Amino acid sequence: MHELSIAQNIIDIISEQCLKSGHTRIEAVNIRIGRASGIMSDALFFAFDAIKAESIAEGAVLHIEEVPVSGRCNECKSDFIVQEVYILFCPHCGGGSFRMVSGKEMDIIDMEVS
Amino acid sequence: MKVKVVTKILEANERIANENRRFFDNAGLYVINLMSGPGAGKTSVLEKTLTPATGLRIGVIEGDIAGSDDAERIAGCGAPVVQINTGGACHLDANMIYEVLGDLPLQDLDLLVIENVGNLVCPAEFNLGENVKVMVLSIAEGHDKPLKYPLMFQESSALILNKIDLAPYLDVDLAKIRRDASLLNPKLKIFEVSCKTGQGLSEWIAWLKELIPKHS
Repeated sequence: MHELSIAQNIIDIISEQCLKSGHTRIEAVNIRIGRASGIMSDALFFAFDAIKAESIAEGAVLHIEEVPVSGRCNECKSDFIVQEVYILFCPHCGGGSFRMVSGKEMDIIDMEVS
Repeated sequence: MKVKVVTKILEANERIANENRRFFDNAGLYVINLMSGPGAGKTSVLEKTLTPATGLRIGVIEGDIAGSDDAERIAGCGAPVVQINTGGACHLDANMIYEVLGDLPLQDLDLLVIENVGNLVCPAEFNLGENVKVMVLSIAEGHDKPLKYPLMFQESSALILNKIDLAPYLDVDLAKIRRDASLLNPKLKIFEVSCKTGQGLSEWIAWLKELIPKHS
């Protein structure tokens, strides 16, 4: 359900940036969402389309790049990607000391304006 | 034409959370964001925490989608409380907190507990300006919860396993909850608590008192 707040935040940010760049229409927006961020893409598409009307983003298409959950092991130094939305241990050596490298992103990258 | 944006989507929330935090620091106030799924026992844990024995002056912000039942329970304990109704939103955000800061006697408090909306997912995403996040999991919710809802376990400093008195009647694997939660978050402090029997409450309250600088 918090996808609605996320969608509102996206529209607020891109509307401000669009007007600042001297344009009045947003055609498309590209965002990056990590798989461990707690955001469901389908719910975000739905929320974005539901609230974009009557804003300068009303014709905007949302593009979501999903980022996998990846880590780097502090013990065997390997880089790895997991299918789960969390890392419990290194899939190569089984070590419990690792750093999550990606998966929690929630960023707006760029947009197409006119 | 293409315009670079490169902004964190929750930047506005983070900015207001940082303002809240500065406000709390200036007031010498320690702040806990208390989270759980619906019915895990956040309000019961709070009722048991609001005793003179803590020696702490505690204020509460209650977040609910609707109603003021929880705020009335807290007021019944004699603590200053303000109710936020989110009107459908599944979590509190930093701005909702900012808007009610004037409604509590913050200068007279040692600790502010923000009881979030009952929801095991969304509240973990939004910083409110708190010092620490604490979560409650009722053991009746099942041992699969840490791996199904990892974010809240990862973000929290402490986990209160509530309704521990029900353990003999449930097939729940407590060791698995502890193991998975600790793997997700090795620094997580875990308390087994029963608000009904009082088990574990003194350990929880002792931890709480240690957190708050002038009482340590």
